[in-house]
Formats: sequence, structure tokens, C-alpha cells
Amino acid sequence: MAQLAARKPKKTFREKINEEHIAGMICTAPFTIGFLMFMIVPMLISGYYAFCDFNILQPATFTGLNNLRMMFADAKFWKSLTVTLYFAFVSVPLRLVFALIVALILLKTTKITAFYRAAYYLPSIIGGSVAVAILWKRMFAIDGTINVLLRAVGIESRLAWLGRTDTAIWTLIILAVWQFGSSMLIFLSALKQIPTTLYEAGEIDGANGWKRFFRITLPLLTPTIFFNLVMQMINGFLAFTQCYIITQGKPMNSTLFYTVYMYQQSFEYYKAGYGAALAWVMLLIIGIFTALLFATKRFWVYEE
Amino acid sequence: MKKVALFLAVIMLACTCLTGALADENILVTWWGNQTRNERTHNALALFAEGHEGVSFTEVPNSWDDYWKKVAADAQGDTLDVIQMDYQYLNQYSQSGLLLDLNPYVESGALKLDGVNEGIINAGTVDGKLYAVCIGVNAPALLYNKTLLDGAGITVKDNMTLDEFMALCKEIYEKTGYKTNIGYGTDMVFGYILRGYDVALFKDGKLNITKEDAEKFFSLYETGLKEGWLLGSEVFAETAVGTVEQDPMVYGADPAYMSWCAFFWSNQVTAMQNAAPEGVEIGLTSWPSPEPAKSNYLKPSQFFSVAAKTKHADTAVAVVDFWTNSVEANKILLGERGIPAAAATADGIADLLDESNQKVIAYINNVVNPNSSDVPPADPAGASEFYSLVDELQEAICYGAMSASDAAAQLIENCPANLK
Repeated sequence: MAQLAARKPKKTFREKINEEHIAGMICTAPFTIGFLMFMIVPMLISGYYAFCDFNILQPATFTGLNNLRMMFADAKFWKSLTVTLYFAFVSVPLRLVFALIVALILLKTTKITAFYRAAYYLPSIIGGSVAVAILWKRMFAIDGTINVLLRAVGIESRLAWLGRTDTAIWTLIILAVWQFGSSMLIFLSALKQIPTTLYEAGEIDGANGWKRFFRITLPLLTPTIFFNLVMQMINGFLAFTQCYIITQGKPMNSTLFYTVYMYQQSFEYYKAGYGAALAWVMLLIIGIFTALLFATKRFWVYEE
Repeated sequence: MKKVALFLAVIMLACTCLTGALADENILVTWWGNQTRNERTHNALALFAEGHEGVSFTEVPNSWDDYWKKVAADAQGDTLDVIQMDYQYLNQYSQSGLLLDLNPYVESGALKLDGVNEGIINAGTVDGKLYAVCIGVNAPALLYNKTLLDGAGITVKDNMTLDEFMALCKEIYEKTGYKTNIGYGTDMVFGYILRGYDVALFKDGKLNITKEDAEKFFSLYETGLKEGWLLGSEVFAETAVGTVEQDPMVYGADPAYMSWCAFFWSNQVTAMQNAAPEGVEIGLTSWPSPEPAKSNYLKPSQFFSVAAKTKHADTAVAVVDFWTNSVEANKILLGERGIPAAAATADGIADLLDESNQKVIAYINNVVNPNSSDVPPADPAGASEFYSLVDELQEAICYGAMSASDAAAQLIENCPANLK
């Protein structure tokens, strides 16, 4: 024993990789490498391209702030930005209200609530997929399900939902609202954490159902609402598939999402430098709106 | 024992892979198209591989839209060998140095272009260098629902002028309720009609038209909208524009949302006939123009190019030569991309063509050839953005949101900067 203690033990390979920071690095390596390769590096490259004239086919040439200047003069840029903001600001609150209502309904635990929760969550999993987008397109077609249903209940409708500037964006908004599942789950777990003692106290003080909702439930939910709002708003700004598959920005660019316009510029018109600049401006816009939300936080979010 | 066997198997596999990589050539061929084309191309390539030991192919077919997005990215690497090229993109790709000059191979005899029309060879030439070899000749073709028009007692004559065409649209609308789609999304219609006014759309890589020229074109839509026979743009919001199967001529059930005709290309007759409902016969005639003889042209519809960075230039050129001159290969391809450019090859397969392809040959020989001009020069880079602007303005007119003269003014004003 004395002999062993005297010698400074050389670490075996096994011991080495079991050291905390090394083990940690090894375990996170798949993510770190992927994150660097597929997020950070492309981001930096696109940051460079944002200041270049780059048509994918030829090497990029540095043009300074030319892309930004073009952007301010580009009517389609402003149009797509307006459409995207409209889409995000209409669909996100609607989706949250919807998610909250469904969460309140599903709060009561009975034997089949688990099934209902799963069922209402389903659209969120499949809602962003190409298949659902194509289904949506068919549903709102001139001879699609929606018009057939309307006719079945006696409303003579041959409306081209996707072909009218006033209805097309709403088909996309409805699709977005339908995907309320993940917000609903977050609301559900937050609702469950509200101590029942508060409700009991409220009841004793004579508060009715509405009052309890507005004075107890809602204030205690504000942190969750805040979280959902930030996450969903970012998602809303970045929406792509719905527009790309269903409307392609038609009619008359009334549904042209920012990301789709970015894609068009980069890969259809081969103006990848301009596309990269558009992407960075979007990042900036998301940053500004997120910062704004955080700035308003102290006025309406309840924190213990 | 098991382990030894496994070990041997792995060694053998490694050897075959290694020798395969050393001795064989794998040629990547990429093209856009449809199911029929994919199958025929695959079979023709297999025939080539049979005759050339050690050559294998990687086939990358795609749809037209996705094709250009993918090729642009792939062209940065050195994986591409044979690239199907379109006239519209030829300038952009050759000027970017992505295509191989094939003239040395023509001189050495590796690529034989005997019996190919001079104009067709020139169409693949940019700045004196041959970058693309035509693998099918085509012409603009107005496809129409012949069964519908026969039923209404209406006949369509070839080489219609614009006025005759508009009168016909009106008559068809009044008799049958079917509307007219004036080439929505078919880029070439714009330049085609302007040629009839002696105006070239692009010149020296720049836009070459005035507001008045554009207005003449847009007023077609305005008139159609006023007289009621123009197909509304709603339809195009819910279909994939440019695909044969979803064209409003064959897709849909309500005449108010359908067109009696479609502005397409002669090589799409077969596909359109297949997409048409049972019992509907598709006819073809020339696109209308103020003066069809000035507008109409034979278009080298599709080309094969060889990538500048290819590692297998000789074999890639051999494939292009095979496509052009092998009658056996063209017996498989059967003019699906258009009529073979080399006269001897075209003659070799003439007897084998089906009814709709016979119709196409008759159309090209009897209608287009005697009544056409030179093919317009390939579009400059940036044309795709220009054409989508044309589409947007057409759309605005169709919705009644813009007058023809406003649309024309906007077209000139908002034309992409590099074309101004």
C-alpha cells in the first residue's frame, strides 16, 4: 500500500475521459460540431455575402452596403415585410388565445383527457409539413372541400379562396392558428402549477368564475404567455413552408412571406448576396421585436 | 471460421471498390423533365454503358424549377459532367465559365455535327465557342382542346394574327363558356408577340423596348378582361403554373375556370394529350402574333453541355456525340425532347414515332418552317427576374388592379437594374 501511495498514479485512459470537462465535451461534440458546421460557419459566410454581389455561379464580389441600399428601394421587400408582420401579429395572438382556451378546457382530468390532449397536439406536429400544406391548398381550391361544405349547408360559394387578395392570407393564418398544440401544452403545465389555495381563498372572498380567471389565472400565467409570445413571434416571422407550397406569394404578392422572397431572390433570380442581406435584416428585425417585448415585460408580466 | 469469411468478404469488397474507382469512369448526367423522359434517358444511357466498358452513370433528374436551383449550387463543385442546358440559361452559365468549349472536340472529330442545321449549331455558340449541343428541336405551339371546338363548330387556322386570335377567343367564350389563358407564366410569349411588331425584347444584354411596346402586349389582357374571355388569375393561385398536368386547359371542371388553349411547346403535345381527360383530342397550331412569319421560330429546345470542371471530358463528349448521332439511342428517346438535330438521326426514327409526334413533325414542317424567322438570341442574365415581373403585372391587370398603360410604365421602371 505504501508503495502505491508513494508513486504518483498515472491516469489511465479510462480515468482521463471520465474527467468532468472532457466527458462533457465528448458528449456534446456531436451537437457542437454540427452547430459549428451547419449554423455558425454558414452564418458567418452569409454575413460576408450580405455585402457582396453573389450570383452563385461566379465568385462573390464585395460591394459594400449596396445590397442594403437596393433593399430600401425595393418595393417587394417592403411588401413582403408588411405581409410577414401582418401574418405574425394576427396569427400569433389568435393562436395563443386559442391555445389558452383549449388548455383551460382540457385542464380537468378525466379518463380520456390524455387522448384529447394528444389529439389537439397532433396538428402542431404535422401542420408544418408539405403534405398538410398541399391538403390545405386543395381544401381551399375553387372545387375544394370548403366550397363543397358551404354549398352543402346552402351557401352558394364558388369563391377562389386562394385567388383573392382579401382571403388568401387568411387561409395561411387559419393554418397557423390550427397549429396551437405546443403553446397549449405549455399553458397546460403552467395552469397545473397554479396553487389551488389561491382559488379557494378567492372563492371565500366571493369571486365568481370570471373574476377568478382574470384576477388569479391570467396574472399567474403572464410569464408563460410572455414565453409563448416570444417563441411564436419568432416562428411567425420565419414561416416559410405554408407560403411556399400553398400560395407562392400569390395573388399579387398579398401572401409573399419574407423568407419566401429571400428564397426567390437567392435561388430563382440567382441573387444570393441580396438574399443573404435580406436574411441579416430579418435577424435584426427579430432582435428588435424581441428586445421590445422584453422591455415591456416589467409592465405586465407577473414575477414573484 | 465465420470471422475469417467475413474478413475475406470485406477485403474483396474493398478491392472491388478500389479497382472500380481506379479503372472506371462514373459520369454524372443531370436533366429536367418528366417520367417518360427519365425512363427513356435512363435506357439510352444504359445502351451507351453497354458499348463502353468501365463507364457507369449517375443520373440526376429533376423538375424544371428545382433543376436550376440545384445545378447552380452543384456547378460550384466538380461533380457534374453532362448538364442538360436550356437556351434561356446558356449565356449565364457560359459567361460564368462553367461550361466546356466543345469546338476542339468538333475539330478532332470526337463530336460529329454533320447534318445539323447551321442556325441550330450557332444557337449553342457564345462568343465563337460551342458550349452546348442541341438535342431536340422545338417550336412554340398553341395547344388547344380540339374536341371542344369541333363540338362548337369552330375551326382554328394556322398562323393566326392577334386580331383573328382575339376574335376567336371571344367567339369561343360566347359559344362554349371556356375562357382564354394568354400564356400566363410562359415567359417566351412576350418576346414572341413583340417580334411581330419588329421589336426585339433584349439587345446586347439590355432591355430594348419602350413603354408603348409593352403596352401593346399588356393591352391584350386588358381587352380580354373587358370582353370577359380572359381567364382570371385565381386559377393560377391554386395550380402549379407551367406544369402540363395542372394546366387549366386539362385541369378543372368548370369552364369559367378553364381555358380552351395553352401556350406551350411542340414537344409537350404528347404529355398534354396524356394529361387530357378521356376522349379529348389536343390540336396544335402557332402562337398568334401581329405577323406570325416574323414571330415564329424553330427553337433548339434542349441542349447537352459539358461541365468545365469535369474530370471525364472525353467520355462526357462521347455521350453528347452518342445522343446526337446514334440512331439506336434515338430509337429509345423517340424525340421526346424534340426532333433530333442531326438530319440523318431524325430520318432514322421517323417511322417509329406515335401519332402525336407525327402531328408535331407535320406542324414543324408545314406550319413553322415555311413561316418563321431566326431564333431570337438567348436571354441575358437576369431575365428570369424580368419575366417574373411580367407575370406579376399580368396578374395585376387580370385582377383589374392596373391598366395596361400603368403596367407598361412599371415594367420599364422596375426592370432589374442589370438589364436597364
